[in-house]
Amino acid sequence: MTDKSIEEKIVDSVKAKFPEDVIDAKVQRRNRVSISVKSNKIYDVGLFLRDELGFDHIASVSGVDYIDAREFEVIYYVWSMDKKVLVGLRTKIPRDNPVLKSLVDVWEGALYHERETWEMFGIKFEGHPNLSLLLLPEDWDGPPPLRKDFFLPETPQERLEEKIKRAGG
Amino acid sequence: MSVMKLSMGPQHPITGHFRFILDVDGDLVLKLEPDIGYTHRGIEKLAEKRTYLQNLPVIERVNSYCDSAGTMLGYLEVIEEVMGLEVPERAKYLRVIAAELNRIASHLYAASLFSVATGLETMLMWTINDRELILDLLEKLTGQRITYTYQTIGGVRFDMPDGFKEEALKRLDYLEKRTEDYYKMLLWNHTFQIRTKKVGILKPSDAIKLGIVGPNLRASGVKADVRKDEPYEVYDRFDFSIPTGKNGDSYDRLEVRFKEVEQSIQILRQAIKDIPKGPIKRWAPPIVPKGEAYTRVEAARGEFGYYLVSDGTMKPYRLKITPPSFRNLIALPHLCRNVPLGDIPIIYISLDLIPMDVDR
Amino acid sequence: MILGLSFPQIVELILKVLIFPGLAFPLLFAMIVIWFERKFLARIMLRIGPLHVGPINRTGLFQPIADFLKLIQKEIIVPDNANKFLYNIAPIAALIVASLSVAFIPYALKPDGSYWVIYYTPLSLLLILAIFTARPFIMVAAGWASNSKYCTIGAIRAALQLLAYEVPIALSLASIAIMSGTFDLAKIVEAQSSIWFMILQPIGFIVILIAMMAELSRRPFDIPFAEQEVVFGWPTEYTGAQFALIMVSEYFDLCSVTSLITVLFLGGWSGPAIPLLNDISPILSGIFWFLLKMAILTVIIIMGRGIYPRLRIDQLLDAGWSVLIPLAIIQIIITFLTAQWWLPLLGGV
Repeated sequence: MTDKSIEEKIVDSVKAKFPEDVIDAKVQRRNRVSISVKSNKIYDVGLFLRDELGFDHIASVSGVDYIDAREFEVIYYVWSMDKKVLVGLRTKIPRDNPVLKSLVDVWEGALYHERETWEMFGIKFEGHPNLSLLLLPEDWDGPPPLRKDFFLPETPQERLEEKIKRAGG
Repeated sequence: MSVMKLSMGPQHPITGHFRFILDVDGDLVLKLEPDIGYTHRGIEKLAEKRTYLQNLPVIERVNSYCDSAGTMLGYLEVIEEVMGLEVPERAKYLRVIAAELNRIASHLYAASLFSVATGLETMLMWTINDRELILDLLEKLTGQRITYTYQTIGGVRFDMPDGFKEEALKRLDYLEKRTEDYYKMLLWNHTFQIRTKKVGILKPSDAIKLGIVGPNLRASGVKADVRKDEPYEVYDRFDFSIPTGKNGDSYDRLEVRFKEVEQSIQILRQAIKDIPKGPIKRWAPPIVPKGEAYTRVEAARGEFGYYLVSDGTMKPYRLKITPPSFRNLIALPHLCRNVPLGDIPIIYISLDLIPMDVDR
Repeated sequence: MILGLSFPQIVELILKVLIFPGLAFPLLFAMIVIWFERKFLARIMLRIGPLHVGPINRTGLFQPIADFLKLIQKEIIVPDNANKFLYNIAPIAALIVASLSVAFIPYALKPDGSYWVIYYTPLSLLLILAIFTARPFIMVAAGWASNSKYCTIGAIRAALQLLAYEVPIALSLASIAIMSGTFDLAKIVEAQSSIWFMILQPIGFIVILIAMMAELSRRPFDIPFAEQEVVFGWPTEYTGAQFALIMVSEYFDLCSVTSLITVLFLGGWSGPAIPLLNDISPILSGIFWFLLKMAILTVIIIMGRGIYPRLRIDQLLDAGWSVLIPLAIIQIIITFLTAQWWLPLLGGV
């Protein structure tokens, strides 16, 4: 019986603890594990990762806008100092009602990451202490910029054409 | 005295382009809240409208005046991982040489800002002076002093010119002797030690919990460095050590940076000696196949995280950049609670936050 | 006979008031010291310093004059809600107080037994101490009158620092007064004709040198001007000619402080007579030695700016209250206890 690599051990323990909530858990390459869970269980899986498996160093929180599938994907990347593995905890939420429980209680360092994801995508994190504009100017009243339907004009020509198109002419 | 709200605004001699809102009671700062976004350029959104090759100058400007080679390295790593492209050996060595020279320049710059914050202008002049030597070397290698666009998808753009090796070794010897001067003038200066020891102590458990990276994390005693944890390029062939600090105060954060300069000089000497002959670039197709990847590189300030989702076209579908200063930002409100007003510049400068990194 | 003075005495008075040690001398001292400070610190920092403005090529001798002229012709801006009277009076008051001490310090011994001093009084030491204590009030007035948060913080810090360091100064002056038995600066210089007080009271010399650096707000004690924390401290809002007056008054203070320390500890004008200068006028060699000692003290005080970082305000106050004051008191006690050894060493008492 071959010794399982540490990434496979992590995948097995997560699958064993949450059998029906884990949609997909696999080893992407050396030092990379990807775990996809249902959006209502992400808090519990996060706590399990932090307390049982020792993943306490949060690396990044990123959102991706899959506009064709009409859903957002939010990925929490966490690193473990002794295991030296990066786990990508991902979940998909519907685009029309993007609400997710905030993981600030699990990983304190996610404070500014979640705030930025909120302002760039419009994903509401419930339980976050201070969801306010971080990088954008205080008087920003437009839609969240990183969504795919946010038009970014590169030249004044493009901006004019978009305005005409929106006006219907 | 009642609590006064003080705003160290974006135009202030010490904060660079940051804004802090302080709650001050007499001479004691009760709370600090950073207000970032002054230099936000929307690089992640801009990256989605350009091809991968057109993105090279844009991504470099995430952190242009301090550490552009380290920034670029992460972007190229993530593209090459999704593409499955293997870069030729000589190009890997050249990339490492550019990145390590940039690391030395960046740490000298951080040391100069530190000495300005404490009021020792002499060290400011000395370190900026020595940084010029490194920038001259980089200009010989890449043609530019600060933002190089030297590394590209598949390798590097120019080869090492003749006479570069001897010149580099000479300057590295001089820099090593100079580090002794820095120790005597700055680090062993009694007044400087009074000012920085026991100021802004970051415990290792707090540092890991908050997600701190880079020399700040290493100064608290945690041995974590991407070059040793997940070696990329050819870092696994070099013999160097990771310096750590003991107490996690501002003095340690500066001392770790100077020790890292010494280690970088070691790496550079080995790289210059062992560099093999061969091509410097491999042709890379303009279309990146579908896939996603997350890579980490060790820039001067810490770990750069790049997350790329590509959909099989010439432009990235989603490029997420996690700079080290953004992750270190949370240490600032954590450390600046109930400290005297005179400690705020010291703590801020010792964390080495670059506003452009934070805002992207 | 005007005002009870004969004609030669009036000429001498005009010479003293206008040229030395009156108006021209501190001004010239300020200009030279500003130039020297910039060049000296530049060389420490591996730079060059001012280069172009001036008669001798590549020395920039007239740079301070050029800066002064530039500042004078700039617009004077008074903040909206400032207290206009205090705001405008503070720089002038700073200049007056800074240059007032020079009037009571004797600079040379005239051959007929009197002293080269603008106004002779047997209580000159007490008078100069009283003038020094007026300086914090001007800073607080300027900072408060500017009606800006940064200035208020800077002014309060300046006042705290200066008040803390006046006590060691007063104690050191007290130990000098005990040793020489008089408050008269001229008699104090004569008491040092065989041995300087710096050798008899080394602790007192160190104490007063450090305390005077703090009084002058020089690095490492320049919290009042801490640029990195409160922009520029109490003179933040001043521009134009008022800013020039404040900056120049700092150097006038330096002139009076170094003169005072020279008189008290370094033996004033005592030194071997120089034959060349003595031919022109018998007091010139005394003035030469006086200026030489002032120059050495100036270099020591300036050097602190190139070497030390800035101390934090509470560390600074700590150093003043818990280190310098005990040292000064120890000096007084030592002076009392060792009286039988130094009493015969004093001359002319």
